[in-house]
Amino acid sequence: MRVTTAMIQRNVLADLNGLNERLARTQSKASSGKEITRPSDDPFNTARAMGLRQSLEANDQYVRNIQDAQGWQQATETALDSITGYINRAHDLLIQGSTDTVDQTSRNAIAAEIDQIIQGVKESANATYGDKYLLSGTATSVAPYKIGADDAYQGDEGGLDPAIPGVVREIGPGVTMSINSVARELLGDGRAAPADGKLLNSLRDIADHLRANDGAALRGADIPALKSRLDTLLEIRARNGATTNRLESATARLAQIQEAVTTQLSETEDADIAKTMIQFNSQSAAYQASLRAGANIVQASLMDFLR
Amino acid sequence: MPISSFYGMQTSLRGLMAQQRMLDTTGHNIANASTVGYSRQEATLAASQALQLQVSGSATSTGAHLGSGVDIEGFRRVRDQFLDLQYRGQNTSLNDWKAQAEALDSAELSLAEPGENGINAQLSKFWNAWSDVSKSPDSDAAKQALVQKANALTDSIQAVRSQMVDAQTTAQGQYDSIVGPGGEVSKIANELAGLNKTIAGFLRNGDAPNDLMDRRDLLLDQLSSFGQISVEQLSGGSQNVSFVDGTTGATYPIVADQAAAWAGPPVGDWNPSGTMGGLLAAAKTPGGTIDGYLATLDSFSRTLADTVNGAYGGSFFSYAPPAAGTIAVASAIQVAPGSVRSGSGASGSNDVALAVSQLRGNAGIDGVYKAFVAKVGGDLNNATRMQTNAQVLADSVENRRQSVQGVSMDEEMSNLVRFQRAYQASARAMSTMDEMLDVLINRTGRVGL
Repeated sequence: MRVTTAMIQRNVLADLNGLNERLARTQSKASSGKEITRPSDDPFNTARAMGLRQSLEANDQYVRNIQDAQGWQQATETALDSITGYINRAHDLLIQGSTDTVDQTSRNAIAAEIDQIIQGVKESANATYGDKYLLSGTATSVAPYKIGADDAYQGDEGGLDPAIPGVVREIGPGVTMSINSVARELLGDGRAAPADGKLLNSLRDIADHLRANDGAALRGADIPALKSRLDTLLEIRARNGATTNRLESATARLAQIQEAVTTQLSETEDADIAKTMIQFNSQSAAYQASLRAGANIVQASLMDFLR
Repeated sequence: MPISSFYGMQTSLRGLMAQQRMLDTTGHNIANASTVGYSRQEATLAASQALQLQVSGSATSTGAHLGSGVDIEGFRRVRDQFLDLQYRGQNTSLNDWKAQAEALDSAELSLAEPGENGINAQLSKFWNAWSDVSKSPDSDAAKQALVQKANALTDSIQAVRSQMVDAQTTAQGQYDSIVGPGGEVSKIANELAGLNKTIAGFLRNGDAPNDLMDRRDLLLDQLSSFGQISVEQLSGGSQNVSFVDGTTGATYPIVADQAAAWAGPPVGDWNPSGTMGGLLAAAKTPGGTIDGYLATLDSFSRTLADTVNGAYGGSFFSYAPPAAGTIAVASAIQVAPGSVRSGSGASGSNDVALAVSQLRGNAGIDGVYKAFVAKVGGDLNNATRMQTNAQVLADSVENRRQSVQGVSMDEEMSNLVRFQRAYQASARAMSTMDEMLDVLINRTGRVGL
């Protein structure tokens, strides 16, 4: 084949351009650390990386949601714990006041403390997390109980009544859980008719019986009633604990998924730096060699040897 | 039959003159070594008409021919028309893919994927914002943040659409500047018509205007980058040139003999291949690749707005056709972000926010968008690969063409030496004649002087 000067120049130039292009791509891979910088680099893996990135973002959000739910649970637990303390104290006072060796004056004093306990229980039930009331169902902006003589529950039954969704947190793709407890389930509506047999109702009864000096009622009905309220409370706390456990296992699961997804994302779109650098070096060597060869070929001509 | 004593002088003179023309041609080749489209020339030599002699004393002889030197018959350009045809075919296909790749490249760039500013990232943030609202259903701050994220998302969608429309408009503009009145095709058509006329004129007189023909071939090469061309050689050396529709085979004349005949592209769709075809394939409406992207983007935006509005139970996004260009947060929400409804019940209820937040990963939204990005990337990837392939083929044909028609400096140098030596030798032959005549004229007939 006849090889002409223009051909040599064209070929040298085309080769240099090709090498340059490859060098630039490797360089951008090395500097960005990414195998894929544009969808056309690898359309399939771009879509995959986009999906993985969305999972990462979503999981981060779920983790934040779970942290919020855990805070809520802890605050609920604290409130329930303090109510437990009040019930225990009320139980002690009840035992003390139910013996007939205690006179009316002492019973009145005990009744006064029971009244304080009632207010204490209501205050505990009015616990907040941030600016939200924990125990008033979904009516989180309303305190569940008013301090004073009015014992009526002010919130709604979201989360207690299965028909009404309670305070729900999204803890996974399509997974939600209700995290609230409703104060009414334990505290009830006080002396509202008909009697609901809940904690406030029982405590009001105890105070009444103390003031009425009704030792038989205190011993007969009130002690088992209060015991049964304590059981209800423990049941609610157990439920709350179960929710906390579920949140913890969800956190652990999300952490595992997050790690797996991060690894996959890295495998999909991150450049193998060692490989990239080796590629870069060999390409840059080829480029220099090609430059030198090109310079020599283009320069040499018969003119150099003719006199 | 007597032969003139000066006959040999004439023979040497022809040789001298022929070698001089050869040297001239070599000089012309060297001067044009880098001229685009130049094909090397060479002088064609032939022995000149011989002198017929009557030879006496031979019964069978009819005579003898005494050589009279050399004649220049002409100058021809060394070129292979078949390679030209091949080159033009490859050039058409190369420029087709090149134009497509360039147009799709700007379409792909407008996506800004993968990255922090792409629609994908904005979608994630949008869903997260809804999830945050579900955590604090009565918080105006969370709703404010949600509306901002929603605005960022709709801004991204609108920006992508408008940039894609820009890419489309740019490609359309390029196409118009090629085919339009006063565009490149019509300029080339005018020049070709002029060249046809001049070339035909020279050929009528028996001259071969090599350099003009090179120029004409170069113009045809340029035309072949715009679209598939067919060239019809006319008997007078002129040419009919037209674009050929690759699908229907219909022809659209550019030059008819000595007159420019380009009347613009046909009304309606056609498939000219080349840059024109590539630009059309990417940017024509309807049916172009980018047009398809816009439709997908519009339908994606519609689905996004409708699905979110459905889960929201009201108007969160508003849009008018084209959906991707107009999608925005509904103005009522825009002015009062606190009015975002997060639940259907009391202030703590978040069923609405949850319903929207759980649209995350929806196959009709995120899934469609991912597939869309993969399609845009795949189209460009394909166009670039086809361009690379076409480039290899075009390069190899161009190499073969240059191998035939290109100027090789080494060859010209050795020719230079060869012709110079031949010139010297002719001159030597002439001085030999001169010495011979010197003997004849100055030294004979001097007996007795």
